[in-house]
Amino acid sequence: MSPWLQHTSFAIIAAIAVLASILVVTRRNPIYSALFLIVLFGAMAMIFLLLEADFLGFMQLLVYAGAIMVLYLFVIMLINPREGDLPEEGGAVDRVVAGGTASLVFCLLWFAIHESALLHPELPAVPVVFPELASLGPEHGGAAAFGRELFHEHLLVFELASILILVGIVGAVHISLRTRRRVSAGNGLTPPAARAEEAAHV
Amino acid sequence: MFSLTACLYLSAFLFSVGIYGVLARRNILVILMSLELMLNAVNLALVAFGRAHAVAGAAGEHRGQVFAIMVLAVAAAEAAIGLSLLLLIWRKWRTIDVRDLCRMNG
Repeated sequence: MSPWLQHTSFAIIAAIAVLASILVVTRRNPIYSALFLIVLFGAMAMIFLLLEADFLGFMQLLVYAGAIMVLYLFVIMLINPREGDLPEEGGAVDRVVAGGTASLVFCLLWFAIHESALLHPELPAVPVVFPELASLGPEHGGAAAFGRELFHEHLLVFELASILILVGIVGAVHISLRTRRRVSAGNGLTPPAARAEEAAHV
Repeated sequence: MFSLTACLYLSAFLFSVGIYGVLARRNILVILMSLELMLNAVNLALVAFGRAHAVAGAAGEHRGQVFAIMVLAVAAAEAAIGLSLLLLIWRKWRTIDVRDLCRMNG
């Protein structure tokens, strides 16, 4: 792929990612947020492919855009929130506070990225341009080379991650099973809406 | 255009948008999605750094990608636990509004 093509495609994909991320946090209906999040994950997968992380790009598509987003969409369908169930979003004050905090974080990060070049002039040509970097060979980023390194050098981390996922599975099953028992036993927990109605009756 | 700094700026922007989503929204589903957005932004920074500092044939050529895979595993576990908690909340209180959950009275 020619460097010019890489620059252009990165610009387009970055624009798509920026737009999709803003739409994710501003849409009122969670189903639109979920769909724009899928667009964002697809854009990220393409950036990973541009960064020569082929295996990771496809994992991104399979795990994030496939598995995790299906989980989200499934939960949205299960809940099936109607218009009245959607929470009223905060007013202008909430938005200004949240936007101010987010801009503050972005400014700090921008400052850190911008200044890092000045702080470390010994780093090789700090604004590293990817197409001009030495190629890592056709093997790099593929499932074979990546797996070899993962299982040879990072085996402990891999095992820790599998334990983490096991804990996640057991935890999710435990939480949902316990709910079923509690709900069928009916241990006297009332929803806030019902509580408000009771208060209105009194 | 397509440089380490550009990738880091994009990652910082996506992370800040995620922070905005977590702070401003009251829908738990959207808050969880913003968390995924932030994790993904970090992934982008990790992979970009890994690509910039990778040396062909040297040990640890894929180190940044291994980091990103670990973040991906954490994100999957977080989504499973978070969504089952969300279902629990929905079954008990019929709400997906975080304001209804501000009292710790069981």
